Formats: sequence, C-alpha cells, structure tokens
Amino acid sequence: MKPERVDLDGVTNLHDIVACVVQTRLREVEALASGLERRDKQGLHDFRIACKRLRYALERFTDLDGSYEASAERFKALQDALGEARDRDVLLTILPPTMGKTQRRLLQEREQCVDRAAALWKHPAGAEGSHEI
Amino acid sequence: MENKWLEKTIRHERRALERARRRFVADPSEAHLHDVRTNGRRFRSLLEDVAELDPHPRLLRRVRRAAAATDAARDATIIRQLLEGSMDPTELDIARPLVDELREREKLATRLARKRLRQMSFLGIS
Repeated sequence: MKPERVDLDGVTNLHDIVACVVQTRLREVEALASGLERRDKQGLHDFRIACKRLRYALERFTDLDGSYEASAERFKALQDALGEARDRDVLLTILPPTMGKTQRRLLQEREQCVDRAAALWKHPAGAEGSHEI
Repeated sequence: MENKWLEKTIRHERRALERARRRFVADPSEAHLHDVRTNGRRFRSLLEDVAELDPHPRLLRRVRRAAAATDAARDATIIRQLLEGSMDPTELDIARPLVDELREREKLATRLARKRLRQMSFLGIS
C-alpha cells in the first residue's frame, strides 16, 4: 500500500512541516480504521502499515516536540498487537489442515490480538477516545 | 534552520542504515537482519514523508529494494518461531516437515538477502 503524499507545497517552517506530516499520516490511519472493525486479513494489514508510518513520524519528531512521545508509544503498542495478529494470519495460510488443535489455538490468539488492538484504538489515551495527537 | 534539521536527520539515518547493512553483510545473524530492516523502514518512512521538500528518488528506490530483499528471510524466521512456540504437543510430528521447510527457506533467503545487500551501498546516492 503506497503512502499518501504529504503536501508540503509552500511549507517552509519546521513546525508546519511536522504538523503536515503527522496530520497526513493520522488521516491515513483513520481512513483505514474500518479494517480493524471488519477484522479481515487485508484490512488489518493495511491499517497496521498506516499505524507504523504514523508511529515512525511521531518517534522522529519527538526530538523536536516531546508531546509526541506518549502518542508514539500508544501507536507502537497498537502496531505490536496488529503485528502479532498478522503473523498468525500468515502462519494459518500455510498450516497443514491436519493440525486442527494448533489452528484453533492460533485463531484464538489472533482474535485476542485484534481485541487488544481494538481496545487501544478505541481508548487511545485511556480516556475520551479522541485520536488527536 | 529547517533544511539543516532535515539534512542532518537524513544524513544520520542514512549512516545508521549503512552501518546496519555492513554489520549484516559481515555477520548475517537474525539480530543484524532485524537491525537492517528496522533502520531501513525508518529511513524509508522519513524519505517518503519529506519527498516534496527534499527528494531522493534513487536512494528511496534503493531503500525499498533493500527492504524487499530481506522480506522473505524475516517472514520465514518469524513464522517458524511462531509455529514452534504455538503448536499443540500432539501435532509435533505433523508440524516437523513444515518446520524443516521453513528453516531451509530461512537459510536460503538470508543468504540471498546478504548477496543483494552486499552490492547495495546507501552512501553516495541521491
């Protein structure tokens, strides 16, 4: 999935550059959040990639603005949960059909990972549910 | 001031990726593979974020190619470790051929990644 282009036309101030990048990446995440609700493989994958891009931007800009640090940590936790679900999705596609017990365990773990991600997304600051950064 | 910060950050991340690449080529361990991938993802994300201000099209293509070159090795390692850690004890015999296949895939993919990255410096390219 290609990243959305960050429109920096005419933007010269460093503070504005940072804000443009973060807002673009946050918009991407929000646009793909339906994948988390659908819980399907591709939707979760796309949402995870968008979260990763936002997380990297937040971590990079923490040096310039320390207030991004908490959001960066939150998105790391969210991305970790989605990554664990993704790994199980990949393994499930190649697992021999005769491994029923392992398959059930992986499916159960996958659902737990998605639940964890959904909780982190629903309560991003552990409070009101706003994704403002 | 703004350009200085950007130039400095790009220079810093480029060097970090180059160091990680050299470490992986010298010793293609799982930890070094992880390092080269992490540094590559961060650098790629930076180049994509500021492409309009400070474009490095050739460098960005190279960073993307490096990521692609290491995908298969990483996937095989992660999936094998997950399988080994989560398989039901009663299904060990059924899983063994798949574990062996993943181990072999991991070895071949790591060798191929090393070969590709050996020829792929991130310095001196714009």
